[in-house]
Amino acid sequence: MNLSNLRIGQKAIVLEPEEGVSVKLFEMGCLPGEEIELLFVAPFRDPMCFRVQGTQISMRRSLAKRIPITRPHGS
Amino acid sequence: MEAKQSLRIAMVGRPNTGKSTLFNQLTGMNQKVSNYPGVTMERTSGLTKLAPGQLAEIIDLPGIYSLHPSSADEAVVMDSLLNVHEEGEVDVVIGVADGTNLKTCLFVFSQVLDLGIPAVLVITMADDMAHRGLVLDHAALGESLGCEVLIVNARTGEGMEAIQPAIIRAKASPHAPFFQPGGIHLQWLAALQEGDEYIYKTWLRSLSQPAHEAKIRESSRGPKRLRADEAIQRYRQVNRWLGSFLTSYPEQDRRFSTKVDRLLVHPLWGSVVLFGLLFVIFQALFYGSEGPMVAIDEMITSLSQSINAKLPGGFFTHMITHGLMPGITGVLMFVPQIAMLFGFIALLEESGYMSRVVFMMDRFMRPFGLSGKSVVPMISGTACAIPAIMSTRNMEDGRERWLAIAVTPFITCSARLPVYALIIGLVIPDMALMGINLRGLVLFGLYFLGFAAALAAAALLNRWKRSQVKVKVPDFLLEMPEYRWPQPRNVGMMIWRQTSSFVKEAGKIIVAISVILWFAASFGPDHAADFTQDRVSVPIEESYIGIAGQFIEPVMRPLGYDWKISVAILSSFVAREVFVGTMATLYSVGDEGIESIHATLASQINPETGEAFFSLPMGISLLLFYAFAMQCMSTLVVVARESRSWTLALTQFVLMSLFAYVVAWAAFVALS
Repeated sequence: MNLSNLRIGQKAIVLEPEEGVSVKLFEMGCLPGEEIELLFVAPFRDPMCFRVQGTQISMRRSLAKRIPITRPHGS
Repeated sequence: MEAKQSLRIAMVGRPNTGKSTLFNQLTGMNQKVSNYPGVTMERTSGLTKLAPGQLAEIIDLPGIYSLHPSSADEAVVMDSLLNVHEEGEVDVVIGVADGTNLKTCLFVFSQVLDLGIPAVLVITMADDMAHRGLVLDHAALGESLGCEVLIVNARTGEGMEAIQPAIIRAKASPHAPFFQPGGIHLQWLAALQEGDEYIYKTWLRSLSQPAHEAKIRESSRGPKRLRADEAIQRYRQVNRWLGSFLTSYPEQDRRFSTKVDRLLVHPLWGSVVLFGLLFVIFQALFYGSEGPMVAIDEMITSLSQSINAKLPGGFFTHMITHGLMPGITGVLMFVPQIAMLFGFIALLEESGYMSRVVFMMDRFMRPFGLSGKSVVPMISGTACAIPAIMSTRNMEDGRERWLAIAVTPFITCSARLPVYALIIGLVIPDMALMGINLRGLVLFGLYFLGFAAALAAAALLNRWKRSQVKVKVPDFLLEMPEYRWPQPRNVGMMIWRQTSSFVKEAGKIIVAISVILWFAASFGPDHAADFTQDRVSVPIEESYIGIAGQFIEPVMRPLGYDWKISVAILSSFVAREVFVGTMATLYSVGDEGIESIHATLASQINPETGEAFFSLPMGISLLLFYAFAMQCMSTLVVVARESRSWTLALTQFVLMSLFAYVVAWAAFVALS
């Protein structure tokens, strides 16, 4: 499971991202162990916008694929 | 008595925290725009009065998510705080934090505190905090941070009066560092420490020196891993603070952003809103600026006339009325469009919608090496390339900004329109093709060509650039701020800063070129000394520019142009629309109404073929030449200024003109 698998409104816990993923992601608040929710997506489901630690962060699908998550919960 | 050294204050915080609102409140109109040393990044600074007779300089540093820079532009924050370029040490930092998003804001602020620079934390959006049901014990937070924490409402100015006294009182926080770079030999780090410098400062400084990187790599899990550890450690600390000092009453939460976004980024409705909005901006730039532009033109014309009437005739009067004044008109004419575009941009950014535009368009721009951020310059370019190129300033990725500046001049701007209208009217028959007017179709095709050329050029340049320098394109990570009402004051300041910097910096070069072109058009080798005449009137074919036109005629001949068109093309360099007026002069059209120009030109006979001189092949060739050639000195100047590189501007000029030449030639040959 990774971030790109989330459906809108679903939540999951962020796991340790793949090697090479920008540390900026951490610094913006998207850290392993935090709960993340998919809020909405752009046309073609790319980029995707998430909420984590109270901040809304959008990223391209290619990056979302490199961030593993736990099994999603929520609607 | 020696003047007291004034304090240097830097504002540091995440983007969208109300930093610029606070900055505008503190400095008022006492602002100036300059550049950071070594980068093409704007540096806004201003003066504020700390106490009677004590002024301080405030620098509004760009918004960052961390002191560790992720892009070259973010690096200016660390460089300024560490005084890398020796501009002067920062005496006090004003940390700015959005009260509704304290977690991530405190992350950055804790980094600042670890540098050991005296700091004050200003928490903005007091009203939004109340709306969200958030209550912060700021005194207790201040106790833990070791600095003063103020809560203000920067929009209304509430609580602002406490900031200045707090700045004067600010001292370096005596706390233990919130982050200890672990896992590396602290002894090695301590050896690099200068004086009683905070260890985190040493750490940051050593990270930015490539010589140390190998050292860090061998003694630890690498700088990147340490940076990640730092983020984890700091967020843990921040969460402890907020757990103790921030109380949330969720039942009072009246947030509406997510609901708005359900509509505004909806695949269908969101696109409708976006294109509607872009259409409005386009219309406003196109038609809304018409009135002010005509007014400016008329004002300067009547000023010219009265100067003409009052001053004695001769060289200088003519220079003023025909060289200087048109140059000034050329500068001021762009002001309405620049002001409007930046007004729109400020509104979009202030409201938070800009990030949504970038978000929605990103996928479409990606194949061309661009991101959603290039949409604004692309659309604005249809009005005028100048404000469009200026609008690239907010791009963080230097590579993308360079691409956008390089390709924007291809987009069909409004100055090409009079030229297109004249030539289309001459060579394209007024007939319908499957119910669609052929002339309209050609015009549409030319707009399409402009976009296609810009995007294709971007894709090509991107491949070239990436083969030259192996830069890793930064991961596209974009914060989507909450929607907020734009602050009229911030919008006004944005318009003021951008237009005044255009008039001051690009303006003087444009006026100078205009005077040079006036000289070339008014004098010729046989007439140069003729200053005593009441009116300088050299037949255009005997002027320098006329001679130049005849000189390049052999080069333009393969495209189907004669020397007159060559002259018109040369003089179009002032601005493309000058083509029409020059053609009128060259063919001695009595009055300059478009109909009479049209009639005169249509009656020209080609002496070789005996047919109409403005034939279809020649007309198409001319249209294509104007579509692709870089014929606008103002754009050239702005490109050079924005990219800090005359090499880029001149290369762009040469390549675009060469491309235009080849395409026009090919079209002429193919159609003849």
